[in-house]
Amino acid sequence: MIMEKIIDIIFSGLSMGAIYALVALGFVLIFKSTGILNFAQGELCMVGAFICYYFATLLNVPYLISILMAIALGAMLGALIDVLIFRRLVGEPIYATIMVTIGLASILVALTGLIWGHDTYSIRSPFIGKTIVAGKMVFAQASLATIVVSIVLFILFIVFFNRSLLGVALKGTAEDSDTAGLMGINVKKMHMLAWTIGALVAGVAGIFLAEQSFVHTGMSHTGIKAMSAAILGGMESLGGAIIGGIIVGVVESFAASYLSGLEMGGFHFGDIKDVAAFAIMILVLMIRPHGIFGKKEVERV
Amino acid sequence: MLKVTNLETTYNDIILALKGISIEVSPEKIVAILGANGAGKTTTINAISGIRKTINLEVEDGTIEFDGEILNDKEPYEIVTRGILQVPEGRRIFAELTIAENLMIGAYSLQNRGHFQTNKEMVFNYFPILSERTRQLAGYLSGGEQQMLAIARALVANPKLIMMDEPSLGLAPMIVQEIFEIIRRINHERDMTILLVEQNAHMALAIAHYGYILENGRVVMEGSSKKLRQDKDIREFYLGLSESGGRKSFREVKHYKRRKRWLS
Ligand SMILES: Nc1ncnc2c1ncn2[C@@H]1O[C@H](COP(=O)(O)OP(=O)(O)O)[C@@H](O)[C@H]1O
Ligand SMILES: [Mg+2]
Repeated sequence: MIMEKIIDIIFSGLSMGAIYALVALGFVLIFKSTGILNFAQGELCMVGAFICYYFATLLNVPYLISILMAIALGAMLGALIDVLIFRRLVGEPIYATIMVTIGLASILVALTGLIWGHDTYSIRSPFIGKTIVAGKMVFAQASLATIVVSIVLFILFIVFFNRSLLGVALKGTAEDSDTAGLMGINVKKMHMLAWTIGALVAGVAGIFLAEQSFVHTGMSHTGIKAMSAAILGGMESLGGAIIGGIIVGVVESFAASYLSGLEMGGFHFGDIKDVAAFAIMILVLMIRPHGIFGKKEVERV
Repeated sequence: MLKVTNLETTYNDIILALKGISIEVSPEKIVAILGANGAGKTTTINAISGIRKTINLEVEDGTIEFDGEILNDKEPYEIVTRGILQVPEGRRIFAELTIAENLMIGAYSLQNRGHFQTNKEMVFNYFPILSERTRQLAGYLSGGEQQMLAIARALVANPKLIMMDEPSLGLAPMIVQEIFEIIRRINHERDMTILLVEQNAHMALAIAHYGYILENGRVVMEGSSKKLRQDKDIREFYLGLSESGGRKSFREVKHYKRRKRWLS
């Protein structure tokens, strides 16, 4: 009984963790490649969910096509943001670029609200409400799909960044863009690629999040949690972002399960769920300021 | 092949780093640019490579011409597609990537990916030590090995012209000997055209065909290596040799440095 409860908690933690991991992955990728801390990462996630909702629920387009449209348009939005805004800001002070991403985040929320409204909607997904029963355990199909697709995506990313010329070139640009240019890499194109991939994974995460809950402009808050996941993971490697995301998701799930409904003298301990991610981030950073997997720099001889 | 004419550049719109220099590199030759720290050597090859925006460098006057095409306004990656690769000062290998990945990026500009494997084998032939450690992070290589990787990374693209910025920098004399011998072999065996920037005039003139002496952003002397090696001033100022052929004492060198400033 207790075992099953724990499996259930871990399962739902993993399905949320996968979402944080995807968003965090884009966050780290954009930061490592272009030096910009994108505070609008959660908003890109929200836009992806709204586009999917628009096609699937409002236009009644088949679900798979809606998902593909949302991912493609989300990725294009990322590329567009780079070309219109951040291409000109590479190398500018970080406080300036951070403010621009915060401004962009507000604009994206406002525009989304303008087009689709600020209410709460649900996506017309074939997974919603469906479950898979395994023995005494019941798993939501939407959560299962999130976990499986995320694992596939993570593997694809690892292969892309370690095997493909484009992926390795992107890593090289992230480490030293001047030298990458000297090797014939078009650095601007690489920055655009980083934004495209970063927005793409955020869009995927947004769709998963919509499947597990609802579509509304407030869902962009996921971005802040994903950011703490990325920082927890060290802001260095994509692996760190993934593990950071999973840690945040699972901790949150345990906090939600064991603390919800717990009330003591007017304190609602269930509320801790929403700050659990930040609590562990603060704790970890106090002990390891560079995150769990972060390092100052590769030792040079 | 490469023809730089009256090149004048500024940093941040004010500091005049090159005051109208002219340099020519003929095919299949090693041409050396020699000069003390701050003479403008790195500025010269960065201008050729198109590295401008990120270091606030601007070409004010003159032309950079390669195979008949003016390259003044090209981006770094466009310069590379023309066949000019740089081995930057301080090596600048990708420390967080493996040796294999460094070479992969070096060959980024290859039009025909099918040539990557053969080029890699050719490079490993010059630097066998790299072939044994392809999966290691480049950051863990020793200084000399990093310099070898930096040269290999340019060579693997099979360029028309390689520009090397102080390959001897910070390396022990034995390693410098070894690396310069490889540079000489690359030129000799592969007819590779090389523009070699050096403070170490002694080593550079031993393998170069032709040389330029740069001082304060100006070419103050040029000629065949043989001629430069025999020039009295160069023997004194850059090779540290006195009339009698022996090494000059530190005090005498200092004395000549004072005179050099007056000369320029
Ligand atoms: N990024 C820069 N900004 C301003 N001045 C620079 C910069 N880089 C080099 N300089 C100046 O330009 C001159 C030439 O420098 P450089 O080309 O690096 O010389 P070298 O490579 O021969 O040592 C020096 O006076 C140096 O101080
Ligand atoms: Mg220099």
